[in-house]
Amino acid sequence: MAYLQALLDGLLIGGVYAVISIGLTLVYGVMGIVNFAQAEFLMIGMFVAWFAWAYLGLDPVVAAPLSFAAAFAIGWVVQGQLIGRVLKAPAVAQIFLTVGVLILIENSALMLFGSQFRSVTTPYQTMSLQLGPLFVSVPYLIAFVMSVLCGAVLWWFMGFSWFGRAMRATAQNPTAAQLMGIDTAFMYKMAFALGVGLTAFGGAVILPYTTVFPTVGGQFVVLMFTVVVLGGLGSVAGAVIGGLTVGVVQSMSTLFFPIQLQNLVLFVVFILVLAFRPQGLIGAAR
Amino acid sequence: MTKKFLDGVLPMSRRHVLATGGAALVAAPFVRRAGAQSGTVNVGVILPLSGANAQFGINSRNGIELVADEINAAGGIKALGGAKINLVVADSTSTPTTAATVAQRLITQNEVSAILGAFASSLTLAISEVTERRELPLLTMSFADQITGRGFKSIFQVVAKASVLGAAQLDYTRAIAEAAGQKLEKVAIMYEDTAYGTAQAEGLRQAAKKAGVQVVMDDAYPLGITDATPLINKLRTSGAQAVFPVSYLNDSLLIIRTMRQQKITIPAIGGAAGYVIPDFEKGLGEFAEGVLSISPANYDLAPELTDRFRKRFGYFMVHEALEHAVCMDVLAQAIEKAKSSKAEAITAALRGARFEGGWTKAMTGGAVQFDDTGLNTLSVPVMVQWRNKELVSVWPKEYAKGEAVWKS
Amino acid sequence: MRRWIIFGLLIAVAAALPLFLDARGYWIRVLTLTLLFAAMGQAWNIVGGLANQISLGHAAFFGIGAYTSTLLLINFGLSPWIGLFAGAALASVAALVIALPTMRLQGHYFTLATLAFGEVMRVIANVWSSLTGGPVGISVPFMAPDPLMYSFRTTVPHAYIALLALLLVTAVFVWIDRGAMGYRLRAIKGNEAAAEVIGVNTMRVKLSAAVISGALMGALGTLYVQLALFFDPDTAFGLVPISVRVALIAIIGGVGTALGPLIGAAFIIPLEEFANDLLSSGAAGLSQIAYALVLIAVILWRPRGLVTLFDAVSSKVRKKP
Repeated sequence: MAYLQALLDGLLIGGVYAVISIGLTLVYGVMGIVNFAQAEFLMIGMFVAWFAWAYLGLDPVVAAPLSFAAAFAIGWVVQGQLIGRVLKAPAVAQIFLTVGVLILIENSALMLFGSQFRSVTTPYQTMSLQLGPLFVSVPYLIAFVMSVLCGAVLWWFMGFSWFGRAMRATAQNPTAAQLMGIDTAFMYKMAFALGVGLTAFGGAVILPYTTVFPTVGGQFVVLMFTVVVLGGLGSVAGAVIGGLTVGVVQSMSTLFFPIQLQNLVLFVVFILVLAFRPQGLIGAAR
Repeated sequence: MTKKFLDGVLPMSRRHVLATGGAALVAAPFVRRAGAQSGTVNVGVILPLSGANAQFGINSRNGIELVADEINAAGGIKALGGAKINLVVADSTSTPTTAATVAQRLITQNEVSAILGAFASSLTLAISEVTERRELPLLTMSFADQITGRGFKSIFQVVAKASVLGAAQLDYTRAIAEAAGQKLEKVAIMYEDTAYGTAQAEGLRQAAKKAGVQVVMDDAYPLGITDATPLINKLRTSGAQAVFPVSYLNDSLLIIRTMRQQKITIPAIGGAAGYVIPDFEKGLGEFAEGVLSISPANYDLAPELTDRFRKRFGYFMVHEALEHAVCMDVLAQAIEKAKSSKAEAITAALRGARFEGGWTKAMTGGAVQFDDTGLNTLSVPVMVQWRNKELVSVWPKEYAKGEAVWKS
Repeated sequence: MRRWIIFGLLIAVAAALPLFLDARGYWIRVLTLTLLFAAMGQAWNIVGGLANQISLGHAAFFGIGAYTSTLLLINFGLSPWIGLFAGAALASVAALVIALPTMRLQGHYFTLATLAFGEVMRVIANVWSSLTGGPVGISVPFMAPDPLMYSFRTTVPHAYIALLALLLVTAVFVWIDRGAMGYRLRAIKGNEAAAEVIGVNTMRVKLSAAVISGALMGALGTLYVQLALFFDPDTAFGLVPISVRVALIAIIGGVGTALGPLIGAAFIIPLEEFANDLLSSGAAGLSQIAYALVLIAVILWRPRGLVTLFDAVSSKVRKKP
């Protein structure tokens, strides 16, 4: 019984992990860059949603598209002015540039918004549904549903829209894509902006049950990377599987081990998976 | 493109420009400030002004500034001819070794006579390694037991120890429950796993053992936890009559909200930190009402003093601001007593001494008395309760400003 | 040749500076930290530069060294000089343990697996309070100055020890780079499959590099905590304060070059201090913003590291078609 509850909780929260991590894997898949600043866009999304709630009275889930748009715009500029310049540089330079961007965004938020912990109060925040003996937390459920929706839209976009196909072409072979008339620089901006926008969307969706403050990204950054690498860098399906796996492992591990070791168990599982499948669960074999 | 631009601006003499620029940068700090001019006393303030504890660091700084400005407005340090207090504020960051390097800088470059800080015990402990070897006084409200447990002679802690705080958290609750007709027999402890939570939980545990109360759940959780459901699931099945969470803000909100979701209505008695700041009430709204928490001190014990903070900064004087204000006042009194701005003299004036009047009235006990380990023996924790967006002291009776409301 | 002149000059300056600085002051501490981080960056460089494996988990080795020597000192009164070797030995065992499952991992997967390892060590140190003191941290015991017990009255000996450590680690780096192992590592870097085919035992080479790097890092952990005196799991096994910083230093300076980590440390550590000194009393976060802007600017300007500044002549020659 406790197993079922833990499994359910793990799946719900795993869905959320998936939606905030999809953006990260998208950026890697198209541009080959591991964006350490990704979690900062989560924070940006959360702040935008909070302000929309505080000043416009919008529920954060409703304001999620606004978060997406804001992060999209900021991401567009960041890619164009900063990341774009190091696409040809060694991978390490790219990584540490994103680390610099991380510090910049986090502390700009501190300076602009202050250090207070802000959260929203929504009517459904303390509600839960009861399926027999099981509790289903309503904010988690809503977040999960939004994640599924988001994933579905993205899947359609990548598979069936011109932009999506152009992005996949750019990812597979930038030179060939260029020869086919695709403006790869534009595509990179699109991919990055889309990626961070998705993470920001996720941030808005989880705001009802968390708090936002400038360093909140730090709580999620290692989780996001675990999700993405576990599933296989660059694979959207991998991010989904990875997210669900991480959620379930985290949740079910508390039945057997102290809660304090939650992340330890997760990391050990992570390392073991990689030891046997170096490309991640879904990642393409090299 | 950037490279071409820079090449155009800095041609062949690139290295030359770099060299001179570098030299200027290196020379700058040497060229700046001379030591304390007569007429000022430099006091170092090292607090986390960025990173996860930024809010607490900023609150603390506000408390110190309030008192320093008051002292200066009233004529400064009279024993030194009206010398003004000059606060030298620096960000400790969240890394203890950086905090120690900052302390070193303040001592040798800014010639501070004392240091106040650094909220988080690990930062304070790191700084104390530097200040102790210089016999420079360090005044703090960090409360890990280790701070006063190493036999150091120049560290001064104005609040009770973590284990005492934890014990009070449990003992006061039992008393309040008993007064309301309930005997507590089974309790749950949950705590975030940094120095703060771990130390206080130990106090809770020991007090429970001594009182014969059964601890049916005793779980640590990682600080950045994003989901409290496993904790609350465990709580639900544990049969506890009350829960003692020791948390910062993010986790405190997660815990209380998840408890509500699962319709768990047993009383939660918080362990200070996240439970006693305005953001807690802002986050929970009506669900904050009636939540109890232990606190090292509370602003309603001396409203004539703490209202000045509210007037200047716009929110009630949170306990870390209050305690740092007391540190500043005690330091000023010690400098008056020592009639000197030399660190060793101030340390000697602080050691084992009693300080009254001024902001010391805001502490429980109405004064500050340091024993030879540097601990303020008069400080007694208070139990506070959220009432209508304010924190009201409700226990022990001699400090209570309101009746404790116990909802079992 | 040019780079060696620069290296020699910087070392000479570092050796001479302690004579002019306040022996218990701030600048000597900054110098010591710079040299220690340069040494750590160099140890990281062995794996990150020569083997091209970007590790973000080097704090694991560092922390093992730090805790080993300190716990031996506290519990058995063993001199940190000996504890240093014990720490290095344990760290090399850890390197072996980490290297085995991560051997086949490519690029970013390797990086994140090492990150996970560092975090695993941190959580273990946090939870195993009976051994490590837990999150409250531990201190090197307060003792009277005694060189045999690595306790000094001033910071000056720490600075010279750090300088020697840097020279030693650099010597190891150069020995590997110029020797047969470096040759094999470059072969692996170029094309691992091809290297295997021509008979390079890729597993043994990578493992050796990892073990050497880990052992050195562990020893440096001891040196560091003897200076810092107090540390906790977040300090010793810290992702940001150690793992990321050490990699950043090597990369800003020039990954894979012997001069890189020294230049990187000489740039980053003082930069952090200046930003904190000049700006941290102002608006919250301002000093970090300034630091980040400088970091971003330097990476954009010199993505291959500051060491390329000293190749001004050779790059100009290459520019001609």
